[in-house]
Amino acid sequence: MLYSEDLLGRQNADGGWSYFRGGSWTEPTCYALLALAASGTGHAVEVRRGLDWLRRCQRADGGFAPRESVQESTWVTALTLLLPPGTEAFDRSRAEAWTVDQTGRESGWAFRLRLWMLGADSSADSLSFDGWPWYPGAAAWVGPTALSVLAPQKLAKRGGPANPSALKKRIDQGLGYLLARRCRDGGWNHGSTRSLGYDSDSYPETTGLALLALHGVNNPKVAQGLARGEQHLAVCQSSAGVSWLRLGLGAHGRAPQAAAAVRAPHQPGDGSNIAEAGAKNPAMHGGVMEIALAALADAAHAGKNSFLDV
Amino acid sequence: MNPKKPLDPTRRAWTKAAGMAAASVAAAGTIESCARPTVRPQPFAPVSIYRAAAYSEELYTLVRRIIAEHALDVRGKRVVLKPNLVEFDAHTVINTNPKLVHAALEAFRAAGAAEVRIAEGPGHRRVTLDLADAGGYFATVPDFESLFTDLNLDETTKVDLVRPVSKLESLYLPNTVLGCDLLVSMPKLKTHHWAGATLSMKNLFGVVPGGVYGWPKNVLHWAGIHQCIADLHTLFPKTFAIVDGIVGMEGNGPIQGTPRTAGVVVAGASSVAVDATCCRIMGLDPARIGYLQLAAGVQNLGQELIPQHGERIESVAASFAVLPELAGLRLSR
Repeated sequence: MLYSEDLLGRQNADGGWSYFRGGSWTEPTCYALLALAASGTGHAVEVRRGLDWLRRCQRADGGFAPRESVQESTWVTALTLLLPPGTEAFDRSRAEAWTVDQTGRESGWAFRLRLWMLGADSSADSLSFDGWPWYPGAAAWVGPTALSVLAPQKLAKRGGPANPSALKKRIDQGLGYLLARRCRDGGWNHGSTRSLGYDSDSYPETTGLALLALHGVNNPKVAQGLARGEQHLAVCQSSAGVSWLRLGLGAHGRAPQAAAAVRAPHQPGDGSNIAEAGAKNPAMHGGVMEIALAALADAAHAGKNSFLDV
Repeated sequence: MNPKKPLDPTRRAWTKAAGMAAASVAAAGTIESCARPTVRPQPFAPVSIYRAAAYSEELYTLVRRIIAEHALDVRGKRVVLKPNLVEFDAHTVINTNPKLVHAALEAFRAAGAAEVRIAEGPGHRRVTLDLADAGGYFATVPDFESLFTDLNLDETTKVDLVRPVSKLESLYLPNTVLGCDLLVSMPKLKTHHWAGATLSMKNLFGVVPGGVYGWPKNVLHWAGIHQCIADLHTLFPKTFAIVDGIVGMEGNGPIQGTPRTAGVVVAGASSVAVDATCCRIMGLDPARIGYLQLAAGVQNLGQELIPQHGERIESVAASFAVLPELAGLRLSR
């Protein structure tokens, strides 16, 4: 309830939400709307204003731009598809089509031919699956792939996709991408697991997000990811990181409580690694994303996971 | 979850030919598409090299001296300090040290700036304030949160690129940096596994908003890393560079390298000249760095063309280790 009031107090006059302050963006608006829906507290007028703002970001190609002043559709389209259906605020079917059609640029034949010519090991798992990019024309990465898998998963659960087998194939490609892009430590980072022979470490927030998308997947790699997620959660100093980990672990039947204490933003951190060491007192900087994610993690802990439930 | 069919493995001939082609490019030390200079920055503004043994209180005096020596008139101006925040790992030194950034904040305020903000948009981590917190910015800079703008999430304006050398035609850019009177690029002195070196010019990747392009800002990679660095350099002509070379990073920079003490702060109004000087301090040949070739032309990167103040390069040179793949960037003896 407190989170809902906080979010309502931060709604912009145009109906959307900013990340911290200033103009409205699609991403925080979607998370705020998801959190308000999960709270079950109503606020129909505010939700309608938010959806009305969101509609202005839908582009002619069916996708959504990250903010009203940006012309191009991007990964945020997947977020709009996580919102509860039935609002009729925007053209959902065209947004679904746009999302399903997106792949990383490395999935294209020209890139794979180039790799073949250069002798790269293109049979490696990391290049065998089609993920989703942040921005059209770029490579696929873990964040947009995880969210873009969740959106068609919801669509499939609801029933009624025009081509169920094609949708399932696309979801499976995304899940395969996530499993292939796991870091050696078991978790996930932004999507670059190894570069020039050096392994990269995972992050708390992307580990939680990937685990959320991989709910229901029975695979030893997921088990290792869960173990790494729990390690991250034990030491994570990021409020957003903690929320994503709670959502991801909770989706696999692990039910972590909320952090015991949240550090105010004016209280400095101890300088330790945000991914590797620190106290159980994540910093809350007061952004809309942090508040909404904390609300969504609490709701999931109480039995309603807005990313998974239809 | 069936992977796509692997590509035909019978490709030895192609592989060999491609390998020979790649080797010849590396030996030449030139990136083919970087051969065309975009501008001729003549004459270069002077570059100053200052010794600085540690992140101590002496930095506050040093940055004031830099502003005075370079006659920076910031009275009534809006100044944006752009450090380099990438990741945080307590075992190494990835980010610009907050002590130097705070010293710059105080010095520009003392010089009469109307407003001094700190701004950055990291390329991998979503919550920039978490990264700044872990990196010691909250502990070092009083009231940091109110002074800071996350460039990934700032208000943006679409800017068309005039005669770009990259494949980009336009970019959405943050209003905080578009509207400032002076953008102070404050990178760390580091080797970079793709670009060779990451300095004041490469640091401008951080102004491209993740909120539009994502984390990482992968459109820049596809459009050409060196070319995009050169284009961003052209887009922001009102810059000053202050490089944190007190403890830099060698080897597999910009994240997984090894701390390397160089004990210097390098500064100047020409990013090209500052970066070329930093390359020489690290033992790299600036004429073999693709984005410097593009920004100035190979023929314009000679040491004799860059007016020098303070320490001599030779007196502070600290040959940084580089990955074997980048051995061709080393200065010839």
